[in-house]
Amino acid sequence: MEYCDRQVRIARRKCCHQPPNLGKRKRRAAFVVWEEGDDLDLQEAIWTCKNGQIQRRHPSIRSGGEIETKIEKREKEGKKRKIPKKKDLVEMTSKGAMSSGGGDDASAARRNSKKPQYSRFTQQELPACKPILTPGWVITIFIFVGIIFIPIGLASLFASERVVEIVDQYDKDCVPNKYSEDMVGFIQSSETNKTCSRTLTVPKLMKSPVYVYYQLDNFYQNHRRYVKSRSDKQLRSSAYEKDTSTCSPEATTADGSPIVPCGLIAWSLFNDTYGFSVNDKALEVSKKNIAWKSDQDYKFGSDVFPKNFQNGSLIGGAKLNSSIPLSEQEDLIVWMRTAALPTFRKLYGRIEEDLEANEKITVEIQNNYNTYAFGGNKRLVLSTTSWIGGKNDFLGVAYLLVGGLCLFLAISFILMYVIKPRPLGDPSFLSWNRNPAGHFN
Amino acid sequence: MSGWDKVRSARSRLTRVGGGFSMNSMRERQRSFHTVRLGRVEPQAPGYRTIYCNDREANLPVMFKGNSISTTKYNILTFLPKGLFEQFRRVANLYFLLISILSTTPISPVHPVTNVVPLSLVLFASLVKEAFEDWKRLNNDKVINSTPVDVLQGQNWESIPWKKLQVGDIVRVKQDGFFPADLLFLASSNPDGVCYIETANLDGETNLKIRKALERTWDYLTPEKASDFKGVIQCEQPNNSLYTFTGNLIIEKQTLPLSPNQLLLRGCSLRNTEYMVGAVTFTGHETKVMMNTMNVPSKRSTLERKLDKLILALFGTLFCMCLIGAIGSGVFINRKYYYLGLGESVENQFNPNNRFVVAVLTMFTLLTLYSTIIPISLYVSIEMIKFIQSTQFINKDLHMYHFETNTPALARTSNLNEELGQVEYLFSDKTGTLTRNLMEFFKCSVGGEVYGTGITETEKGVAQRMGMKIEDLPRSATSLHEKGFNFDDTRIMHGAWNNEPNPDTLKEFFRCLAICHTVLPEGDESPEKIKYQAASPDEAALVTAAKNFGFFFYRRSPTTIMVRESHVEKMGKIQDVSYEILNVLEFNRRVTRKRQSVICRYPNGRLVLYCKGADSVIYERLAEGNNGIKNITREHLEQFGSAGLRTLCLAYRDLSTELYESWNEKFIQAKSSLRDRENKLDEVAEFIEKDLILIGSTAIEDKLQEGVSACIETLSRAGIKIWVLTGDKMETAINIAYACSLINNDMKQFTISSETDPIREVESRGDPVETACFIKDTVKQELRKYLEEAEHYLHSVTGPKLAFIIDGKCLMYALDPSLRGNLLKLSLICSSVICCRVSPLQKAQVTSLVKKGARKITLSIGDGANDVSMIQAAHVGVGISGLEGMQAVMASDFAIAQFCYLTDLLLVHGRWSYFRICKVVTYFFYKNLTFTLTQFWFTFQTGFSGQRFYDDWFQSLYNVIFTALPVIILGLFDKDVSASLSKKYPELYKEGIRNSFFKWRIVGVWAFFSVYQSLVFYYFVTASSRNGHNLSGKIFGLWDVSTMAFTCVVVTVNVRLLMACNSITRWHHISIGGSILAWFVFIFIYSGIMTRHDRQENVFFVIYVLMSTFYFYLTLFLVPIVALLGDFLYQGVQRWFFPYDYQIVQEIHRHDPDDRSSAKLQRIGNHLTPDEERSYAITQLPRETSKHSGFAFDSPGYESFFASEAGVSAPQKPWDVARRASMRKPETRTSKKN
Repeated sequence: MEYCDRQVRIARRKCCHQPPNLGKRKRRAAFVVWEEGDDLDLQEAIWTCKNGQIQRRHPSIRSGGEIETKIEKREKEGKKRKIPKKKDLVEMTSKGAMSSGGGDDASAARRNSKKPQYSRFTQQELPACKPILTPGWVITIFIFVGIIFIPIGLASLFASERVVEIVDQYDKDCVPNKYSEDMVGFIQSSETNKTCSRTLTVPKLMKSPVYVYYQLDNFYQNHRRYVKSRSDKQLRSSAYEKDTSTCSPEATTADGSPIVPCGLIAWSLFNDTYGFSVNDKALEVSKKNIAWKSDQDYKFGSDVFPKNFQNGSLIGGAKLNSSIPLSEQEDLIVWMRTAALPTFRKLYGRIEEDLEANEKITVEIQNNYNTYAFGGNKRLVLSTTSWIGGKNDFLGVAYLLVGGLCLFLAISFILMYVIKPRPLGDPSFLSWNRNPAGHFN
Repeated sequence: MSGWDKVRSARSRLTRVGGGFSMNSMRERQRSFHTVRLGRVEPQAPGYRTIYCNDREANLPVMFKGNSISTTKYNILTFLPKGLFEQFRRVANLYFLLISILSTTPISPVHPVTNVVPLSLVLFASLVKEAFEDWKRLNNDKVINSTPVDVLQGQNWESIPWKKLQVGDIVRVKQDGFFPADLLFLASSNPDGVCYIETANLDGETNLKIRKALERTWDYLTPEKASDFKGVIQCEQPNNSLYTFTGNLIIEKQTLPLSPNQLLLRGCSLRNTEYMVGAVTFTGHETKVMMNTMNVPSKRSTLERKLDKLILALFGTLFCMCLIGAIGSGVFINRKYYYLGLGESVENQFNPNNRFVVAVLTMFTLLTLYSTIIPISLYVSIEMIKFIQSTQFINKDLHMYHFETNTPALARTSNLNEELGQVEYLFSDKTGTLTRNLMEFFKCSVGGEVYGTGITETEKGVAQRMGMKIEDLPRSATSLHEKGFNFDDTRIMHGAWNNEPNPDTLKEFFRCLAICHTVLPEGDESPEKIKYQAASPDEAALVTAAKNFGFFFYRRSPTTIMVRESHVEKMGKIQDVSYEILNVLEFNRRVTRKRQSVICRYPNGRLVLYCKGADSVIYERLAEGNNGIKNITREHLEQFGSAGLRTLCLAYRDLSTELYESWNEKFIQAKSSLRDRENKLDEVAEFIEKDLILIGSTAIEDKLQEGVSACIETLSRAGIKIWVLTGDKMETAINIAYACSLINNDMKQFTISSETDPIREVESRGDPVETACFIKDTVKQELRKYLEEAEHYLHSVTGPKLAFIIDGKCLMYALDPSLRGNLLKLSLICSSVICCRVSPLQKAQVTSLVKKGARKITLSIGDGANDVSMIQAAHVGVGISGLEGMQAVMASDFAIAQFCYLTDLLLVHGRWSYFRICKVVTYFFYKNLTFTLTQFWFTFQTGFSGQRFYDDWFQSLYNVIFTALPVIILGLFDKDVSASLSKKYPELYKEGIRNSFFKWRIVGVWAFFSVYQSLVFYYFVTASSRNGHNLSGKIFGLWDVSTMAFTCVVVTVNVRLLMACNSITRWHHISIGGSILAWFVFIFIYSGIMTRHDRQENVFFVIYVLMSTFYFYLTLFLVPIVALLGDFLYQGVQRWFFPYDYQIVQEIHRHDPDDRSSAKLQRIGNHLTPDEERSYAITQLPRETSKHSGFAFDSPGYESFFASEAGVSAPQKPWDVARRASMRKPETRTSKKN
């Protein structure tokens, strides 16, 4: 107000006031000094300076004579709404002048005005960026994607290539010839010798840890009946031992006592075993830390011990040591994290020794698991890892391909741009200009 | 004893007496009024109700309904069942209910939560909305029911709430108060027993109307007197006809007939009257206004109907997917998969012994699994978007706010927003829609001489077309301009007419203007300040003219009219003359009348009948002879007509006392007859309205509305074909059409008119059958001829544009089923069509002809009650609000203040709405299809077992949280081009007419890309997830992979939306970022916690496992980009080679700064011409609105005539009830079906 007071000292009487209907924020921004008789149109009403007081008038009243408004702003232009300049003011007031009617009527009308309030939202004038997909942008984006993708692809592919992987399918070879007609009979018989020896050659140096996987084919771990045949509660805590309702058909033994762990998944636990030796020296296979920690810690209880497991007439797979709690049975934990696809690998263990190139590894396989019934395959996989994980060229190839494709598209777009250019915003492309004919659109 | 005590004792007495007579009579009475049902038009029950005024105990046996009202849809008990029932009438909701039920069975692969959560959220949202609306209604009811009103109890006025009011009570209503029920008007504080009422609540008209009490009851004003009032009212049963009322008041053995004049309807308010006293006749839901609250059948937009087809297609797809899966499952299931435990005791669904059952059950399983393909939240989202569009955007658009009348646009329904973007045919009323309905006395012809020097807009237009330029004559000093008067002629202004050759005729002319009317003066009795309340602006204009000619009508009593005549001005005298008004023969709705007469007695005893009316009617009744004047005047009439003026003939007749007396007897008889009153009055009037002497004619200008011409031009550039349907004369209509550039001289005009000589000739023979046949033949021939010609033009390249003009009579025959086809073909070829002299019914018929016959989207715009049927018949009805009554607005879907706002409404809001809704729908389709297809691909690798890929909660929240908001933002904010560009390039609108954005091709493209994307999601994610994922060599399970895939889907689908946007505001960023973030927050929390009550197979910790691998990041980067690459490529190519028009416009204006249209808004109206300023000033005058339709040349009866001929009664017009001496029998209102 100090600024104002100084002004008032001037001989002519002046109003010195902020327009009453300006919001707080704007009030700070704009400061208006009116001389006697000045009008200022702000939003809906005209504010007049009269006898040193600010008075609101309806815009319908015409201001008499010349309008001189001095607008002072303490700060630079208010960001939001500008105080109207003099020219605008004249326009506005002349608009106001069109109406007639007494002041009282007018102010009453003012109150009843149904004029919508201005807001950017309701007037649909929100600030927006309006990207236009011009050929330039298309080309740029394609090139950009290509440039980013190709290095990533190369890196992934390189990482994947560094992984040394030995895959050995042993299901058929581990069945003696005389059983080749009746593999199922072989595998189901308890009489037959299921031991099988395989020799693998290490193609390249495999740095420790070397991961041992088994890979199954055509095994629908994601079948609905299979997936739901488990009891997470039972696995987690001994208190829910009897919670086997979801485990059908491997819920209880014939006498009704619960099977722990129950359900088809546990029942069908993979039970081939592998023993490795290099040059007759046995390789230690670590079975620890092959399951995700969260599973081990939270999903499988340390107080849950196998009970009645594989006691039935049909034996699906591996048996469990009933003195070891489930949380320690990592094979089971790995198995119970059901795979997404019918072809899957599961971690069997780790060899904590480097395997030299061209070393011969002898694998002693206990070929117990019945994949013969449903025509599935069994493979033994030895693999190192890189940052990208196991050997999987897919990501690298995909990145490379897509990157390459993008570059190709960019080039073809450039070519098209050269061959068949379309000037941007050429009105002759508007449909009504292309087809100006008559009254039928 | 107070009134209440009386009631109590009466009840006890009744029970004591019991049986016998009272019971019988009670039963009888009850029967008589039980037939009336709310909200429906029922044939009048034979019977009447008898009301004992001021005597509650006498009324008790009848058990009239109370005065409390309830407009709520539900109450606490019925809310859930009824509300849910309403919700489940939607197919999608019902479908989800069934799926939810199905998912509780063991067949279901998903937990019920998957379907129950979205369904209940959707239902919850809808129910909350319903409850909120109903709660508002309830509160409203409460307020209304508890409004106090003064009731006579004993000898005092006591204030009781409205709801306690009973039939027969005597109430007092003070100034500005509302009538609590339908009241019989007994007395008012005004002398002469009149009161003024405002019927704004009823029909929106704000002009005051007079009601007049029976003279016999004028005295019952004070409580002392009123308590003596013991009248018995016998009246009709409650009905919904607002403008009729018949009954008798029996008071002291005297039977007095009652008319609508004595009935004050609930909802009206008392004005200009200190207070009035009335007796309650109808209460609560039996009041006329309540019985009129009908639910207008809601319209559905065409796009929504197409959407239903899309949903059906989705159902079809769903069925196919399920079938494939089901067959697969039947084939797959095999005992060899021993690990599945398919022993002998296996449940049916997996029993290999019966593969058919397996397939059937799997079918159901898959049905629940794939249920997400049906976008459950689509309808709710669209509703929400449309609601905001209409309430926030349309209603609050400053471009559509009319400052002069203080009227913003109003979307009365939110169903039809996108329909506005596809309108191809526009049917417009003329008067009040294209024109301002602002009548100004412009010219007149008296005694064969034309007075008035003005040149009408239409004439200017004509001249311009001829290549002439007409300068406005400088106004003479005598020119006067005020509302209703725009006349300038020095010869007769300011008393100069005394020097004209025929001052006596002029004097008659002026007197006729000053006397023959039913206008009410209001306010100060000085020429400057007086206000005229008239039934129509024409009438007010005529009286104003008389005032300016020196015949100032300033006071009216029931029997006299006071005119201050200054024709003796030269001698410096002003004379107040009082004319005794003996009879008023009013305009009525009959086709026959079209005229109004007043019989008055001069102070000197001279008896004169003044008559004014349509030329045809007056000419028929002129006395023989004096053909010179007749012919000249007829010429003038034609001249006026071609200048776009509305004409009226004035005539008078001197009466002898004997003649009058004998006639008056008949008249009084007719007036008091109870049956067929109106007919009889008409007949009687014929006796005296003959042998008239022509005085001259008046011409009134009806000005075009602001910007109509430009608007019509813009709209026609937008590909909208505009038809004008008017009740006016053909010449007037054609002239207006010229003036607003609907027709121009380059156009080839086809005219079918009944005003041709051959037809006249046949008509004059007087055989209606022959006439009909003849006209029909003519119409048939002409139609065929024109059609051939038009088709010829159509095939030629440079043919002229065509215009087709037809009048109502011919239209009646052309609408005949046999000719309808030709009519439609012809009119579709023509670029403008004008139908004149059409009845409301015909307006509706023409509209539905195009709507149903051509299957084009139609819009009707009108302002008056005569447009209601047309508004309801069209796809979209637009009412002009502001100046006129509210009938049209009440029936409309959108109300705007000016015709020219159609540009904004259609080209901006409609176009955007259409554009947005199309995007929303296709996007919904895409996102649900994509999501479901990933699931579908997974099914192939699970042995068709129906195993779900995603966690239940992912699936249930996908629609309602992770992808819900951005699409709403898109539906609200997406803009292809700005509002000003939309109007600058009206041709863009054609994209909507062609329905470019919601074709099957578009849907197909989206579908193609959803297949592509879903394949990418599924195969890329699974293929890359095979072997170990980080250095630990550990392997993922099913849930890890599916969570990965889901993350990719959520990210992609949201980013895809961003790609679909044309303008990206910060709300887009917030909502899209927010949705993706919401997913991550959700999965972090959801997979991070584990409780005792966790379900099976939970996704515990998956996200953390995933995020510990590089695989996650590589895939998350790769998959969305690959998925979107296809769309991106498509968009790029499409834009480059097959650009949409809007895209080119975007490109043209790509460097434009954001236009701030608000700045422009303030400029509007700054460059008004003086003329515009004047008319603006006129609109600023206190409003005095009414229907012009009470007037002869607008022939209010014409419509109902045609309507009744067609066997349908037209809706009644809310014109001033008070002035009608009598009414026709209550007629049923037609509720128009669309």
